Order: sequence, then structure tokens, then C-alpha cells
Amino acid sequence: MSSPTPLWRIVAAREVSTTLRSKGFQFSVASLLLSLVALVVISSLLGGRAQTQDVAVVDDVAVTAVEDGSWIAEDLTGNLTLELTRYADVAAAEQAVTDGEVDAALLPVAGGYEVVGDDAVDDPVGQALTTAMSGLVTTRNAAEQGVDLAALAAGTQVQQRLLDPDAEDAGLRQVASFVFVLLFYVTALTFGMIIAGSVTQEKESRVVEILAAAVPIRALLWGKIAGATLLAVGQTLLLATVGVAALLVTANADALGVIGPAIAWYVVFFVIGFVALASLWSVAGSLASRQQDLQATTAPLQLILFAPYIITLTAGEGVKEVVSMLPIVSTMLMPSRLAEGDVPLWQLLVAIVATVLAAVVLVRVGARVYERTLLQTGRKIGFREALSSTRGQRAEPMSTR
Amino acid sequence: MTRVFGDQTAVDHVSFVVRPGRITGFVGANGAGKTTTMQMLMGVLAPSSGEVRWQGAAVGAVDRRSFGYMPEERGLYPRMKVAEQLAFFARLHGFSAGDARNRATELLEFFDLGERSEDLLDQLSLGNQQRVQIAAALVHRPSALVLDEPFSGLDPLAVDVMVELLHTEAADVPVLFSSHQLDLVERLCDDLIVLAHGRVVAAGPVHELREGGTEQYRVELDGEDASWLRDVRGLVVEAVDGSVALLALDGLTPADLARTLTAHGPVVEMARVRQPLSQIFREITR
Repeated sequence: MSSPTPLWRIVAAREVSTTLRSKGFQFSVASLLLSLVALVVISSLLGGRAQTQDVAVVDDVAVTAVEDGSWIAEDLTGNLTLELTRYADVAAAEQAVTDGEVDAALLPVAGGYEVVGDDAVDDPVGQALTTAMSGLVTTRNAAEQGVDLAALAAGTQVQQRLLDPDAEDAGLRQVASFVFVLLFYVTALTFGMIIAGSVTQEKESRVVEILAAAVPIRALLWGKIAGATLLAVGQTLLLATVGVAALLVTANADALGVIGPAIAWYVVFFVIGFVALASLWSVAGSLASRQQDLQATTAPLQLILFAPYIITLTAGEGVKEVVSMLPIVSTMLMPSRLAEGDVPLWQLLVAIVATVLAAVVLVRVGARVYERTLLQTGRKIGFREALSSTRGQRAEPMSTR
Repeated sequence: MTRVFGDQTAVDHVSFVVRPGRITGFVGANGAGKTTTMQMLMGVLAPSSGEVRWQGAAVGAVDRRSFGYMPEERGLYPRMKVAEQLAFFARLHGFSAGDARNRATELLEFFDLGERSEDLLDQLSLGNQQRVQIAAALVHRPSALVLDEPFSGLDPLAVDVMVELLHTEAADVPVLFSSHQLDLVERLCDDLIVLAHGRVVAAGPVHELREGGTEQYRVELDGEDASWLRDVRGLVVEAVDGSVALLALDGLTPADLARTLTAHGPVVEMARVRQPLSQIFREITR
């Protein structure tokens, strides 16, 4: 009759299967996945979409200038090319600009050329056309004057050299850093509320008395923590996988090199940070006697999660550096700092050790309070009262005696 | 065991024995301490002093895990499938996944709930939910049963089914159940424990409690006035109403009484008086 399956695993399995089957949970995972994919796809569309601008011309010189300008434009922006359309005369070309048939025109005027637009000309377009035309005309003039253009241009080359090439990805890093903070906030809150709700549901439905008679209360607590952590990590891994896949598909593969390590650290921090908080969520659930009480009993935890969220968005570098080593807060701030740039290894280790210690302390305190409050039904219990209730006694009676 | 809440003593040095193979009724007025006692038996509540003993030794967590419990506050998972729920409880008590499923099916079929096994609990009628609750207490073939008001809210037919189940499932184990339905306790129980104000005021086999005190007989003669019995020696007539008399034997044996009666004239009935439990209950908890 005895089975080798530990009790906490049976409890955890029930938590997992119940949650997976809940419509609300399926909906929340699906919407998270969709928003993540949408975020990657939209940012890739905005950043990398190939653009074409049409340019009207009336003479051969301008044709060559637009062809050269197209190369320059692509060099400048990475995704802009120019298309030329030839018109019979200047009036026809200007009409085409006014009608919006073309985006700009490159037209001869006395003493040179002008770039004509309707109400504006895109900077890269104007710049590319100007550079191309001036190069073209300079070459022609040099040939006519018998000047050695190479000799004339000697020493005028200016090149660029970047001291911090990673800074190029600053935009991507900032988005990633924000996504990490938001993701932990949303995931920790979702699964925290799932733990608390499941504990309260057991109290509310009174099934808890049968459970308490059948298994040690700690096994119940461990089962719940294990189940919710498994689900939360599962969801995080799913989101990470889908996020990486979306980056690969949209040809943002080089972004992976930038935020890949941050994603890996995020998973590590997530697990220990979540376990540290999980027992407190169970306590919040055991303090409530009905689902309506949950808003009040989980409020302190929501605050604990919200504080680092605000810090990430507002605090300066120095404050962030110190605060990011605090337990639990580190879970949100460290991956976000990692995404923004390098973090010294010792700071990572301090953050991890601090959170693990906090997890051990919180789980022990949480388990004690949980044991005392779980069987008290019929009213909401305050945190202070829960911590100060008599030691060693298991519980007050559940009902009239 | 004793249990104190604040300055109130809910259970005061309560001590009794529940024997295997016997159904023990646990009766007492509201607030007498029945539920508190049962919660302490199951380890849901810690006694202020005293202990629960199982087979001669202090009860351990492993022993308790083999007990079956139906608390006064009913409750299972409302949004969980019935069969899955029973299997979950069986697993918590140490059944393997396969055994747990089979056992859940077996119990549901006993209650004619086989077709509802995939329904959520809160889709069942209240009576059926009550059946599932009993099934949850029996699902792991418990080594002892503690049932707090198991029959409250059941119609007589459902009670019969439940009683049948108790006889087949818990024939060899100690069963303690509390109830307000004294007629039911009278019908079902082998032993009885009566609690009043947190103390045991009577305990023992039901038949002894009912026949306790002086031996009383009710005698009905065929049409003849029964007052002549007052003159018979070795008995005390407690009341006479026409041809019916209530007597207590005081020296005569029941056989002597029978001979005396038939020698005098035709007799309709001579029967030992067994007090209904409700009468005993009123007297001892007064």
C-alpha cells in the first residue's frame, strides 16, 4: 500500500494540473506569448524594413547621380534605396512631386542642381543626392581642368572608429532590460496570486481539514511552492524560447549575442527569487478566509514586487547598483542591469547568496506562520497577529466546538 | 485529553476506548465537545494535555495517515473532477496512481455515481456531494474511521446505503461517529459514549446502557384489571393502567413472574422494558 512518491510531489502534481487546465491561466499565457512575439516582430519591422524613395529626373547627369545616390543612401541607413523616374521637363517633374507620384526631384538650375520636395525632403534622401551629385560634378570638373583628383583628395579621408561598439545596441538593450523587469513582475505576481488563491480556496472550501488530517501541513506548503515554481519557470522558459525563436526568425540573430547571457541569468535569478517569495504568498493565502480577503492580505507582497519595478524605471546608476544586490529585488534588477551592460561577477554572487539566504529564512518563517493560520477559518487574520500567535500550538478550532 | 480555549475548557479529561469491529456512537448536546475531541483524535487540533493512543502506544503521524476522517465542516475541491479528486486523496494516503484510480472507480460505482466520475464536484447535487465526501473518508481503506455527523443532511434511503457501506468497508476497524439522530445511533451502534459539558457522562455497550438500572417489565393481561399484582411478593408495581402494569422485579426471577401471571389468567404480553436512547440521553445529560 505504501508508495515511494513523496507527498509534496502529489500535492505539486495536483497544483500543476489544476492550473494548466484553468481557462484563465491558458488565456494569460497565450496573451503573454502573443505580446512577446508582437514586440519582436514590430520592432524588427520598424527597424529593418526596406524602404524605397522615388526621385524624378529630367537629364542624364541626374540619372547617374540618383544611381550613385541610391548606394550612398543604403550605406547611410542600411535599408533605403532610391528609384528614378524620368520626366520630359522640369514642370512635369515638379507636377509629379506635387501629385505625390515621386518623393523628390533632382532638377537642373542655374549654376547647379536642386533637390525639390513637396513640403519636406527626407534627410537621408537629400544628403545622398547632394553627395552623389557633388562627387559626380567634381569628377567631371577635375577631368575638364586636368586636375589629378586622387592627388587633390589625398589626406582628406575621415574614418570612424568606435571605442564601445556594443553601445550600438543601446536601444535593444534598453528594451530587453525593461522586458526582464516587466516579465518578472508579471510572472511573480501571476503565480504568487495562484499560490495564495489556491491556499485560500482550500480554506474556503474547508477541504483543508481533510488535507491537514492526511498529510503534514509542511508537505502541503512544499507541494504548493514546488508546483507554482515549476509552472512559473516553465512559463519563463517557454517565453524565453519563443522570444529567442522570434529573434532568429526575424533575422535579429545578432541581438542574441547581446541579451543571450542576460536571459540565462534571468532564469537563475527567477528561480531563487520566486522560491523566496513563494512561502510568503502561501502565508498571504492562509491569512485570508475568503477570496475577497486576498486583495488585502497580498497587498504587502504586491508592494515588495512593485518597489523594484519603480526603482528600475527611475533610480540612478549608483542606487541601482547597490539595490540590485538586495535579496528578491535583485531578481528584477540584476538581469535588467546585465541586459544594459556588464555587471561585475562579485556583485552577481552577492545577489545570489543574499537571495538564497533570504529564501531559507522566509520559507522557515513562512512555514511556521502557515501551520498556525491554515486551520483558522471564518475570518481574516493580520500579519502581526499571525507572527505573534502562541508557539507550538497547532491551531484554534475551525468552528463551534 | 483536555483542551482549553482561553479560559474555557471545551474538553475536560475525556477518556474512552473505541474497539475494532465495533461501531461506537458519540453523542452529546451542541457544544458538548464532540467535534473538538474528534479534531484532536485526527491531529488537526493539539490537545492541551493528554494523548491519543493507537494499539497501545501513542499515535504517530504514520498511524494517523491510515485513519479515515469526515470533518463536521464538509469540504472537497469544488472545481475538481470527482474521480480524480478521490484518487488524489487515495494517493495522499499512500496508494499508487493505478490503485488510487481503481479504488475511486469502485467507490463511485457503489454509490451509482460511475457515470458522474468526470463531472466537477460542484456539478453534483448536495446529496451526491455528501456521498463523495464519505467516499473520500473511505478511499484508502482506513484502519480507523472518525466521522463527525456523517448522516446529517441525508435522506433515509441514502442513510441505508451509507450504513451498508460502513458494514462492508469498515467491518473490522474501529469506527467512531457522532450524531444527533439518536434513533440512528440506536440502530447502528454497538457502543455508546455520551458527552456533556466536555466530560464523558456515560460509556459502554448500547444494550447495557439501555437495560441499566433495575429490571423493568411491562405486563398486559387479557382484559383483567392488573391491580392484583400489587399483592404479589418479590416485585414492585410502579404503575397500573387498566390491564397494563409496569413492574420492577425485587426477588422474583423473570421465569417466576411468567408462571405467576399464567397461573392467574390469560396474558397478552410480558416484555422487558428497554429505554429508548433519547430517554437515557435526557436523563444523563440533564
